[in-house]
Amino acid sequence: MMESSPINFRRAIIWIGRLILGPIFIYAGYSKAFLPNTHFWPWFFLKFSVATNIANFAFQVDAFQMLPPWGVQFVAHALPFTEIFLGVMLLIGWRLRIWAPILTIIMIGFTFVVLRAYLLHMNINCGCFATPEPIGLKKILEDTAMSILAILMTWFVFIEARQPHPWSAAQEVPSA
Amino acid sequence: MNRAIIAIAAVVLLASSYFLTRGTHSISADRSVSAAGDATPANPVNSPASSAATSTNSASNSSASAAPQPPATPEPAGNAAPATAPPLPTPQVGAGIPDLDPKEAIGSKTAPIVMEVFSDYQCPACKVLYTSTNRLLMDNYVSTGKVYLIHRDFPLPMHAHSRVAAQYSRAAAQIGKLEPVADALFQNQEKWEQNGDVDGTVAAVLSSAEMTKVRALVQSGTLDAAIEKDKALGQTYRVNQTPTTVFHSKGQTFPYAGVMSWEILKQFLDQLLSK
Repeated sequence: MMESSPINFRRAIIWIGRLILGPIFIYAGYSKAFLPNTHFWPWFFLKFSVATNIANFAFQVDAFQMLPPWGVQFVAHALPFTEIFLGVMLLIGWRLRIWAPILTIIMIGFTFVVLRAYLLHMNINCGCFATPEPIGLKKILEDTAMSILAILMTWFVFIEARQPHPWSAAQEVPSA
Repeated sequence: MNRAIIAIAAVVLLASSYFLTRGTHSISADRSVSAAGDATPANPVNSPASSAATSTNSASNSSASAAPQPPATPEPAGNAAPATAPPLPTPQVGAGIPDLDPKEAIGSKTAPIVMEVFSDYQCPACKVLYTSTNRLLMDNYVSTGKVYLIHRDFPLPMHAHSRVAAQYSRAAAQIGKLEPVADALFQNQEKWEQNGDVDGTVAAVLSSAEMTKVRALVQSGTLDAAIEKDKALGQTYRVNQTPTTVFHSKGQTFPYAGVMSWEILKQFLDQLLSK
């Protein structure tokens, strides 16, 4: 006998979170490392240099004025690949209890950083993707919504891990 | 288990593409650096002051290409390179910049990096960029022939006096006094933006003879066309805020909107130079 239905609210949220946040993280990381400037498509895509793109992304990280130069360089070099990695992990669903909390912490961090820049009236771009996006209420709402989704997804991943999997073999009831 | 292998393979692929790209560029870097090094003695580096002085003599706008096309020009093949080696990138990128007025630029035209700064004299962020970063840039990269720095006027409609300031700056550039006038306008921004006394601010750093020429140029009304040209060029780069800096190096263009700190800019320029 199956203990629970294959589809319930928690599993639906986990799937929605994985299918929305995974591709967004992959594209965010990819665009930082490979598409520094989509305005000039396709000329610069053909001549891209990842190292230069990341050095260019460091300007965006530095614009938030939260880190020393070595911290800026560390984040600029690590973040794009971390985002790609976490996005891939989320999509394939391997060890979600490890990667989902990390992604959630990063997502909450993004929201905090963007909100701080907005409250301090910093006239800077988000740096979220390759295309420059000014920080405004829309961006804060987007990040908040994604953070909430990430939190719910992580929470439900841990709850679901305690439940028997709906596709696992049914436990046979010993006959009397 | 299969999913884990796929994930690890994907990450390894991405990481290797990063390091391979890096390695490729560092190999060609040695060539481009040596090429630039060879070219530097043949093309004496202009200091900001000497550049301004020499530009006084040239009166015509020597724009190299009429069409304002921000995308990079293809790199010409190196004539001395062996058949198997990749062509040497040309160190001279100034020729590919549209509407280039040498009077509005500082440094050596043969510099491997060209920076176009779209700026508004009344914008506080432009002042920060100029005073905290671009002064150091001029001392360390422009005066050594590594960067050709072009000033582009982009007066925003929200600033009441920025167009007048741009006119005075352009007029000063015509007589070879761009740098002292830009210094004065940025350093005294808070003063003249209150009372609109751009004329007095500029007059404080120019002689009376120079000021007469500047006033005549401003009153002639011919400078607006050049300012509009800069603004139109900015629109092709999709400039929507000031300051916006557009970097050109070896066929690549990287625009960045906002203030850059000196440390990060230095690392970015070094990265471009090492390619």
